[in-house]
Amino acid sequence: MDLLPQLLIAGVVIGSVYALAALGFVLIYKSSRVINFAHGQIIATGAFIAFALTQKGVNFWLAGLIAMLATFLLGMLIERVFLRRMVGEPIIAVIMVTIGLSSVIDGLIHLTPYGAGTFGFERPALLTGQGIELFGLPLSKTQIAGVLMALGLLGGFTYFFNKSTLGITMRAVADDQMAAMSVGTSVERVFALAWAAAGLTAAAAGVILGLMSGLTLGGLAGIGLKVFPVVILGGLDSVVGAIVGGMLIGILENLSAGYLDGIVPGGGTREVFPFIILIIVLLIRPYGLFGTKEIERV
Amino acid sequence: MKKTLILSALVSLSFAAAQKTVTLPWSGAITGPTSDAGASYAAGVEDYCKYANSQKMLPGITLNCVIRDDQYNNANTQRNFEDFVANLNAPVFLGYATGGALQLKSVIQETKIPTLTASYHIGIIDAPDNTYTFLPVSSYSENIVALLEYVAKKERGAKVALVVNPSPFGRDPVVDARKAAERLGLKITDVQEVGGNNLDNTALLKRLEAQGAKYIINQNTAGPVANILKDAKRLGLLGKMQFMGAHYTGGEDLTKLAGDAAKDFIWATSYYLYDEATQPGIILAKKIGAQFKRAADTIRSVHYTSGMMASAIAIEAMKRAGANPDAAGVYKGLISMNGSRAFNPGFAVGPVTFSARDHIGAESLRLLQADATGNFKAITGAQRSAMFQLVHPMK
Repeated sequence: MDLLPQLLIAGVVIGSVYALAALGFVLIYKSSRVINFAHGQIIATGAFIAFALTQKGVNFWLAGLIAMLATFLLGMLIERVFLRRMVGEPIIAVIMVTIGLSSVIDGLIHLTPYGAGTFGFERPALLTGQGIELFGLPLSKTQIAGVLMALGLLGGFTYFFNKSTLGITMRAVADDQMAAMSVGTSVERVFALAWAAAGLTAAAAGVILGLMSGLTLGGLAGIGLKVFPVVILGGLDSVVGAIVGGMLIGILENLSAGYLDGIVPGGGTREVFPFIILIIVLLIRPYGLFGTKEIERV
Repeated sequence: MKKTLILSALVSLSFAAAQKTVTLPWSGAITGPTSDAGASYAAGVEDYCKYANSQKMLPGITLNCVIRDDQYNNANTQRNFEDFVANLNAPVFLGYATGGALQLKSVIQETKIPTLTASYHIGIIDAPDNTYTFLPVSSYSENIVALLEYVAKKERGAKVALVVNPSPFGRDPVVDARKAAERLGLKITDVQEVGGNNLDNTALLKRLEAQGAKYIINQNTAGPVANILKDAKRLGLLGKMQFMGAHYTGGEDLTKLAGDAAKDFIWATSYYLYDEATQPGIILAKKIGAQFKRAADTIRSVHYTSGMMASAIAIEAMKRAGANPDAAGVYKGLISMNGSRAFNPGFAVGPVTFSARDHIGAESLRLLQADATGNFKAITGAQRSAMFQLVHPMK
């Protein structure tokens, strides 16, 4: 079977996980214009909560749901305790708060038995056994579940932002906080909800990543930054952008690994090539593929 | 009564005054990249050091066991090293990362502080600036060359691919592996770099399959290797390709991450494993782990044993340095470990032997293979790689 379709499929699979991991960035930025550099640590928190629960005998799927609920609440708590006080402060100060938070959460995870070490989920029965084959490329059930969960959540949030009143309210707040407040919108509530939703998606991403590649704090927290190009490429405030950006980065990684690694001594082009495309795209569309072009009228 | 109290106080004071404190410092990654290995390693160093105090291994000396997290950051390692030497008067340095050790080589040479690292990069003990640097066990290069010798014995002319970490740690054995493969009549089809965040290896494995590579030798940490193994299983390549790797690729970390995809993985290491319950070193490691109430996972880790090994070597060198273990004394203590005075703490498959020219401690290694339950079983006895000594003669 041709290599190209296989690389494209593998790229879509990994890209959908990137998209899910990137979704948290988008949800927060879309409503509050804050870039959350602690997102990787929230992904790790969710994954380790789920893992800890499975170690206590809780069913894998239930553990995943509880972890999502826990990071939903964690996101809300972070917003309430730290971010709400920063409303109206310079953006660099808010970014520094999220960088500080990443260190604090990192440190807190280190106080648990999961801070250092290597862990792996025991695969639930539903995800064991033979997967399916697409264009000659075998896909494991974990990968299929990952793609379905990612696409389900991404689809759900796209619908939420476009069709639901609350979603439209969140977009309105992102667009103009003052205007939204003047029509009676609770900006605080919207911010809290955005952080909570980002927390929820973070746990989902963490559990999928944990299933696919195991659980280490460094690996899970690192994915938070690894998907940063995804949101930049897709557009920081676009859920569709996160999906397309994730897929594109996943596909570009695989294509470069498939076709360039054999030419470049040592290979490893997958780490670089997507960034070259990212730079080119940003030179043409600085706000990303689907990001909102902001026009300031003086 | 009063006289007795005064007398006993004086005796205690004089005892305390006679009791010298010497620092045994370690700097490595308890947090940050590779901390999954580093945290257990640090625990091993610390526990053995405390155990030495509890056993009064060094008469008249109390060890100040200093464990510092450098977050796998070379600048932090250097700062820690300078603090240990300048302020704590440490006569020895226990390091961790390849990058930090390579960066510190000239400083170590200048300060003459004997150094043992958790990195087994051969460049750490290669000239120049190699008088005071020591590897506790065989190098990554020797691990890889031993695996190549194993392949050559099984299948002359076999096609081999190397998959390495994109760092000095990963690239270290490539030159020696190429030389050895040529002498052994093996064909290296590809050398590819795979990092820790690589979640999909379809492209890599498809290319290696197209090249006809049958033996895939990894120089990496367990995480990336586990991802490769899981992808190889998904692609139906586990039966067609034999995956192998150097010290940091294998062990419990690999089987925890890769699950049943780790089955048949061949691992080169110099250390005994937790399940080898009759080995004196393992018995001791378990006893110390229990004494200091370490988690079961920590005690099971080969990195816990490795940390103890480094600590044990440093403490033995101090012991040989006598009542006043300064850096010069520790250095002499280290290079005295040979012949009938070789040191065997029991953690590795051979005794630790150093001399002014030989800076590799336990030179022997074994190849082990993962079984269906995820346990590694030895498939060779303790051995040295004859080919390694040909392709990389120590100067």
